[in-house]
Amino acid sequence: MGFQLTPADYVEYLNRAYQKIHENGDYVTELDSATGDGDHWSNINLGFEKLVEAAEELKTLSLFEEFKKIGTIMMSVIGGSSGVLYGSAYLGAAKVLKDKTVIENEDLCAVLGAMLEAIMSRGNAQPGFKTMIDCLHPAVECYRDSIANGLSERETIGKVRQAAIDGAQSTAAMEAIRGRAFYQANKGVGHLDPGAITMSYQIETLMDYLAEKL
Amino acid sequence: MKKIINHPNSVVSELLAGMVKAHPSLQYAEGLEVISRRQKTLGKVGVVAGGGSGHEPAHAGYVGRGMLDAAVAGNVFSSPSPDRIIKGIEEANGGAGVLLIIKNYSGDIMNFGMAKDLAEMDDIPVESVVVKDDVAVPDSTYSTGRRGIAGTVFVHKIAGAKAQAGGTLQEVKAAAEKAIANIRSMGMAMSPCTLPAVGKPGFQLGENEVEIGMGIHGEPGVERTGIKTAAETAQILLDRILQDYDFSGSEVALLVNGLGATPLMELYILNNEIEKILTAKGISIHKTFVGNYMTALEMSGCSVTLMKLDDELKQLLDAPCDTPALTVL
Repeated sequence: MGFQLTPADYVEYLNRAYQKIHENGDYVTELDSATGDGDHWSNINLGFEKLVEAAEELKTLSLFEEFKKIGTIMMSVIGGSSGVLYGSAYLGAAKVLKDKTVIENEDLCAVLGAMLEAIMSRGNAQPGFKTMIDCLHPAVECYRDSIANGLSERETIGKVRQAAIDGAQSTAAMEAIRGRAFYQANKGVGHLDPGAITMSYQIETLMDYLAEKL
Repeated sequence: MKKIINHPNSVVSELLAGMVKAHPSLQYAEGLEVISRRQKTLGKVGVVAGGGSGHEPAHAGYVGRGMLDAAVAGNVFSSPSPDRIIKGIEEANGGAGVLLIIKNYSGDIMNFGMAKDLAEMDDIPVESVVVKDDVAVPDSTYSTGRRGIAGTVFVHKIAGAKAQAGGTLQEVKAAAEKAIANIRSMGMAMSPCTLPAVGKPGFQLGENEVEIGMGIHGEPGVERTGIKTAAETAQILLDRILQDYDFSGSEVALLVNGLGATPLMELYILNNEIEKILTAKGISIHKTFVGNYMTALEMSGCSVTLMKLDDELKQLLDAPCDTPALTVL
């Protein structure tokens, strides 16, 4: 049998994602100072901190309500662009989880797909714009292909994890189309997008956690 | 960092709290960082603006009769979140719908867009307009494109006057759109600003260096150059504006805006030069505003905004308004 994530398991994932983001503060801020205004890490870190603080409440909710609550918290706490994008992502994903009690392999693929769609639509952005989409999009594509090709869950998890990391790294070569890096003379070329990096931390952490649950 | 603050995390709430103490006709929704009129006009279209803090008196300083009904503040240089904007919409809603005036930044577009979607689910009719007046940036539908800067104040005035005159939501939106289509701005910066939470300047400029076209958050401009005279500065800024849009033979409203640290003395000197150039080109100035209307913390520098007027825009510009930062009698 494959993995199953309950609302409490998802809270455990959030705890781990918070740790991962928290310990990479200096690195992400350094990336952001090169092309943005340097506040991405402190905002997203604060968002995850509030999620961890809300852990006890989140555990008691249905997946649908849990994801809605996560979206609402991220939207109001993170603020700026990242807040509304993560908020939209979780609200979009909540719809996929209506009436579900656990998240299984195909559900998770649908959740990540719904998040991608919500972020692209709210941000009016496409792959290749040097944003978090350039991490999430290849991860979702890889997930869909893996399921279509009948890969085992363990193989799938490993491939999705790598696709997210490679996707985030690919932003270094891109010209920014959205956000403040767009105003830089060279459009941020040569610099990694900090939003793609923090997205890859989350997918990496989630995939590592799933591997333990198999 | 030398600033009169208590703590970087509390600058927004304390500035708004201080503002309502000075202007008792306004009220402050603490936590949601919304300033609105105490006295509501039922049946009038509500006009809401907002954005990051650090641009004072924008946006809360334009709340009052004849301009905004509510202003929503984000953190310094960061868009307010949808929950705050929804509070602004609710405060401004007098039953005839609400117009959102948004400056063209990625974060503002997304947060106001989300708030609009959520407000519509609650059956409040909401329309929005996007101000993109900064000619330093090429206009583009593909990228984020042109930024919204000081010309936004004219849009507040025009939309607010149309709403005050009893315009419907569609009419108020149309007036705001017309203003936006006829507004162009261009700025320059001479020294950087420091975000309270960051503690050091966001960029450096040499002792005798200025940056033409810099944005109101320190976004890069079009050119770094040596310090210019007021006459040269007026020429450079107006050249970019007049190349971008045909103002010839028209009547205009003029805004000479300070970015925060530039003395009014210098803004008036600049205005003196701008008037000479416009008059020589046969552009007639109907009304001039000189002052700190859309600032960037303690950045020094200025921007120049022109709005081409027709009879409707002129009438709306001249209509009375009473706000902390702009009064027309």
